Amino acid sequence: MKQGYEMVVGLEIHAELNTDSKIYCSCHNAFGLEVNSQCCPICMGMPGTLPTLNSRVVDSAVKMGHALHCSINRICKQDRKNYFYPDLPKAYQISQFDVPLCEHGYVNIMVDGKQKKIGVTRIHIEEDAGKLLHGDSFGGTLVDFNRCGVPLIEIVSEPDMRSSAEAKAYLDAIKAILQHLDISDCKMQEGSIRCDVNVSVHKEGEPFGTRCEMKNVNTFSGAVRAIEYEANRQIELLEQGESISQETRRWDDSRGKSFLLRSKEDAQDYRYFPEPDLLTIVLSAERVESLKEGIGELPNDRMARLMREYRLSQGDATLLVEVPEKADLFEAAAAIGKAKADELVKWIVGDISKYLNDTGKPISDFAITPVQLSDLAEAVTSGKISSTAGKTVLDVILFEDKSVEAVIEEKGLAQISDTGALEEIVLEVLKNNEKSVQDYRGGKTNALGYLVGQCMRLTKGKGNPTLMKELLIKHL
Amino acid sequence: MNIDVRHIAKLSRLHLNEKEIPKFTEEMEKILAMVEQLPPIEGEGTLLDPDHPMELREDKAETLYRRDELLANAPEVEAGCVVVPKVVD
Amino acid sequence: MELYEYSAAKLSAMMEQGEISARELCESVLNRIETTDREVRAYLTLQKEEALKQADEVDKLRRSGEALPPLAGIPVGIKDNICTKGLRTTCASRMLHNFVPPYDATVIKKLRAQYAVIPGKLNMDEFAMGSSTETSYFQKTANPHDLTRIPGGSSGGSAAAVAAGSAVVALGSDTGGSIRQPASLCGVVGLKPTYGAVSRFGLVAFASSLDQIGSFGRTVEDAALLYDAVCGPDPMDATSVRRDVTPITPQLHPSVKGLKIGLPHEYFEEGVEESTKNAVMNAAAELEKAGAELIPLSLPSTGYGLSAYYIIASAEASSNLARFDGVKYGYRTEHFETLEQMYENTRSEGFGDEVKRRILLGTFVLSSGYYDAYYKRAKMLQQQMTREFVSVFEQCDLLLTPTTPYTAFKLGERIDDPLMMYRCDVCTVPVNIAGLPAVSLPCGRDDMGLPIGMQLIGPHFSEARLLNTAYSYEKLIGGFPPMPRLSGKEGAK
Repeated sequence: MKQGYEMVVGLEIHAELNTDSKIYCSCHNAFGLEVNSQCCPICMGMPGTLPTLNSRVVDSAVKMGHALHCSINRICKQDRKNYFYPDLPKAYQISQFDVPLCEHGYVNIMVDGKQKKIGVTRIHIEEDAGKLLHGDSFGGTLVDFNRCGVPLIEIVSEPDMRSSAEAKAYLDAIKAILQHLDISDCKMQEGSIRCDVNVSVHKEGEPFGTRCEMKNVNTFSGAVRAIEYEANRQIELLEQGESISQETRRWDDSRGKSFLLRSKEDAQDYRYFPEPDLLTIVLSAERVESLKEGIGELPNDRMARLMREYRLSQGDATLLVEVPEKADLFEAAAAIGKAKADELVKWIVGDISKYLNDTGKPISDFAITPVQLSDLAEAVTSGKISSTAGKTVLDVILFEDKSVEAVIEEKGLAQISDTGALEEIVLEVLKNNEKSVQDYRGGKTNALGYLVGQCMRLTKGKGNPTLMKELLIKHL
Repeated sequence: MNIDVRHIAKLSRLHLNEKEIPKFTEEMEKILAMVEQLPPIEGEGTLLDPDHPMELREDKAETLYRRDELLANAPEVEAGCVVVPKVVD
Repeated sequence: MELYEYSAAKLSAMMEQGEISARELCESVLNRIETTDREVRAYLTLQKEEALKQADEVDKLRRSGEALPPLAGIPVGIKDNICTKGLRTTCASRMLHNFVPPYDATVIKKLRAQYAVIPGKLNMDEFAMGSSTETSYFQKTANPHDLTRIPGGSSGGSAAAVAAGSAVVALGSDTGGSIRQPASLCGVVGLKPTYGAVSRFGLVAFASSLDQIGSFGRTVEDAALLYDAVCGPDPMDATSVRRDVTPITPQLHPSVKGLKIGLPHEYFEEGVEESTKNAVMNAAAELEKAGAELIPLSLPSTGYGLSAYYIIASAEASSNLARFDGVKYGYRTEHFETLEQMYENTRSEGFGDEVKRRILLGTFVLSSGYYDAYYKRAKMLQQQMTREFVSVFEQCDLLLTPTTPYTAFKLGERIDDPLMMYRCDVCTVPVNIAGLPAVSLPCGRDDMGLPIGMQLIGPHFSEARLLNTAYSYEKLIGGFPPMPRLSGKEGAK
């Protein structure tokens, strides 16, 4: 971004909730099924039908409210947002206008190892719209109502972010919390989490500029591109002496550009008014309180703690916390106090993660325990086994409930670190490899690698390579 | 009270022809003149009514309708979908 | 006396005694429709075969010795804004001229479960917007007492069918008087229950916070019988009130001793015809003679009722009727290329003028910059009016007022003057605004022989008290006048 400018970013995140039924009717809340197969007269907006609010939608939103330190409006209502569009069968969306379920919260994000607090203006519940399908071979547009009535929470941030990196960190934090609370699947490719981006720029030390909103941002990386594009577009305009007009733009990620959707003058008049088919939502203090239980430590808090307590890098902490089971395994193994924290992390984010990715299975499907992991890391660090042998051990303990020691024993993986025994082998190798010895002495130092390899072959891989190398050099 | 009936008609997705505009304008103005006789009212106008709390529905899903029943009234159907004129979004 | 002339209560007893069959009754009513409906034009859709099948089913069950509910075999007419599975439901609008719901309204489910017979769907003002049934897209219904006059509205078809004997009882809906006003004009009993007493699921919404389904009968007992059959909480309607329900009909007994009846003077003032005032005051005197106490009192905000009503009702209607866009069901214009043209032309061709007027008004009062001045103020006024009612019900048990300021006017007389038409509802809208129950019942005739109706208004969920008072009055005057004689063309099949 151009020097001397600062950008201001605010985000509106829409997350689909993973309830069984839709928000206002009993249809299945399911993705990817045959068009118009998950519908009923209610979500298709047929005349005379009425909405009934799904209690789990309220609970999920309140949980998110707690997680984002919001105050919960135990008395709130729903409102109609009126506009015509073929994917909106009632021609209004049931949402919340002036009294949302949750307000005035914040979330801590981590950027470049530093924590920052981002304000959360509000969280409200609303229904999703259907999908329009366009075919090249077909002159019209097809409407699939399956997604109508899928429950959404909209999380609106304060304009507290100052870079696309902060915006990305905020999006990641929100996503991690949604997953931690198990209230949304957060599947980008299914559109279950989407966002609208508000961006303005101003010269440093000057008041905030006019903001533009970008719709249709469907991925987090897209959000980063959209923010940067928009900030640069606005700066260019300002540099040319033009002013920014408040407008809504559409982000086209494939082209990496945004396009004017509507200017402030033709802003939609949504004619919000209280939804007369639904009564006031009244939640007891006990119910709201009980939804705090089981929230536990939030991913972003845990990350900060792991960095603090175990001196992990932000990158490692992120990788662990992203999959809470990994962080759990790490902390349990670290608590044993035998192995070093960074060694444990290496195993988890390295070989273990590779297994998880390759099989697509969660850690809970594998047999490995914190004790095994701790023993494994310790065995390698102390030189009892080689790191190659460590991988062989891992291959076993992932699937079998055997102690690391037993596996080492069984497979004969223990390294030979007995100097006397190794010296004999070294001498034999030197005797049998005259040429390499000559080469080394003649200055070809890489001949040493070959000699170490020969020692390794004779010890069937069990010789401690560091020791053998030392002995070779001594006799050369 | 001047009412921009054209704008209101646009918002309502109603097409009024040139003859209808003055007619509806006049009628709406008369109705609003009646309606405007509201007295000054006290109160903050909060539209929350906690004395009548809403009962919420249990999160249980069921399939009760077939697609063909639901689309039987649609003016145009293609490939299991309702058809509308091409929308560019 | 023909079968169609009897009350539902009497017919139910006759069927139970085996004196008549449900089929005989159904045939009698279908014949009556055949002979009178060319003049009255109450029905929009008939299902004769289906009705006979339903009647036969009742007879079969009865023969097998099954104990049946009181409504079994009784032909019940249904206002055409109540969804009936597999039976066209038009709201008397071109917009829904071909709409066949794949679901039943909750009240219809209840009627079916009680083996009621449904002969067909009844005419109304388009989307229940009107007070004369003249805004129907399909036909104008005549008042059986004078075929040149309107039956009232919007449930004009329901009131006319019951008055003419082409239905024994009927369901209607009432948003600002749409049951009580036509009941009054057609000389029948019409009950508008407490908001939330009857499920609105399947009632095509006009103004969601005011709409309520209610019953028509030629006797108070019949109106009570149908109300008992359809009332009660419904999990499909969040605004239906969760409560225990006990049937009212078995409790009816003539007694008004010690009953405190309030007479709010605002309902007897300007615009109310002398003959109407006199008839209602005579009825009050009858009730006083029978032991009731009359209490003159005041409801000062009454005069603002129409304003608050037209703002709230139109605002909700503008949103409720937005779904009629030619996409999913109902009418779609043939004149379009773009989506916007399809929307505008569908809605302009599909809706009549009265509906358009209300949509425009409702859109306006909700639009940016006007919400606070109109909608919010109207909602505050609604709260104030409700408080006023609550406080007068500390002084009295119920209120007695005229139902309408005037008796039935001529077809076409007022259709071009919306404001004049709106004033028909001046005595009825406050009841909807406050969500109260009210019943209209006949209390005499004007000098042209046209029925006059009086309205009893009670506190929330006082239907039993209201109906019992109405029942007492009916007994005091020795029953309501017999069915009007329809013109000489009657019987010409």
